[in-house]
Amino acid sequence: MAEAKERTGTGKKRVMVAIEEHECSHYALEWTLLNLKPTISSPLLLITVQPFSPFTYVAAASYSSPPQELIQSMQEHQKQAALALLERAKEICAKHGVDVETITEMGEPKEVICQVAEQQNIELLVMGSHARGAVERFFLGSVSNYCVHHAKCPVLVVKQDSGKKN
Amino acid sequence: MEEVTATVVMEGAVVGPEVAEATTAEKKGFKVVVAVDDSENSHYALSWAIDNILANRREDCQLVVLHVQHFVETTFMYPVAGHAVYAPTLSMDAVRKAHEENSKRVISRAVDICKSKHVDALTAVAEGDPKDAICEAAEKLHADLLVVGSRGLGMIKRAFLGSVSDYLAHHAKCPVLIVKPPKGSHK
Repeated sequence: MAEAKERTGTGKKRVMVAIEEHECSHYALEWTLLNLKPTISSPLLLITVQPFSPFTYVAAASYSSPPQELIQSMQEHQKQAALALLERAKEICAKHGVDVETITEMGEPKEVICQVAEQQNIELLVMGSHARGAVERFFLGSVSNYCVHHAKCPVLVVKQDSGKKN
Repeated sequence: MEEVTATVVMEGAVVGPEVAEATTAEKKGFKVVVAVDDSENSHYALSWAIDNILANRREDCQLVVLHVQHFVETTFMYPVAGHAVYAPTLSMDAVRKAHEENSKRVISRAVDICKSKHVDALTAVAEGDPKDAICEAAEKLHADLLVVGSRGLGMIKRAFLGSVSDYLAHHAKCPVLIVKPPKGSHK
């Protein structure tokens, strides 16, 4: 059969893991490194996207244009937070002996992740999934949900199951 | 929601532990469950999973091919003067047989793919509503990873993921890998 003989790849794929503030993305990263390490072609890409949104609130709260220093300090703070997330993710990868390349972008996380995945010819996108309290079983998380629908490549959603240990 | 009425396990022509044993045994190795149906997408997903996941971890990876059969109705309602008419057993058997034939065909095609790539696979068939059946089966089988194709519905491809894959991404307890068809094949 034609399909049976068709090879869907050499076994090594360009993998990108989306890192967000939630614990779940680090869990997703660990899971991937533990279980899919042979599949990952070096380097593993980590992406974190800083949303623009906080600035609109600040503008509204100040009744007019907010002070420049405030905006700058917020941007600084966000950048620090993103860097810290990436550092933590890099540590996890180093622990598993995997080379890593990081990407930081600003914008709407879900859109940017999909865009970058296409630009970088990503062959597997890994995302954590938010488990928000009581609705955890029914809510995938808007970023993961969007990417599952819109990414062109295979998407792996790793849910952090609170009751089960890895 | 319809419940899974029966999980019939058919052993493919492979050597491997009984699936029943595997369900009760401690997790030893990585179990990948691939849900297949008649679509090209699911066969592509199976190939992708084998080429990229199993190929790298032959020693401890176990593949299970799962097919869900639609629930066979036991009664038919014919709007004849408002009375329900039970379908004659003959046609019931015919329908059931047709479903089973279909299942066999889908499974054997999947097993062929596995064999051509030198992978031993266990097979499992469940009956019921696909979304729930796959979720339950994945749980019963203690799947470490669930792989599904996505049903790109023609022109709405970008906006609409098959409802089964979507449901699984939300509700399955284990990680879910949704394999889209390769770029260029769907425009």
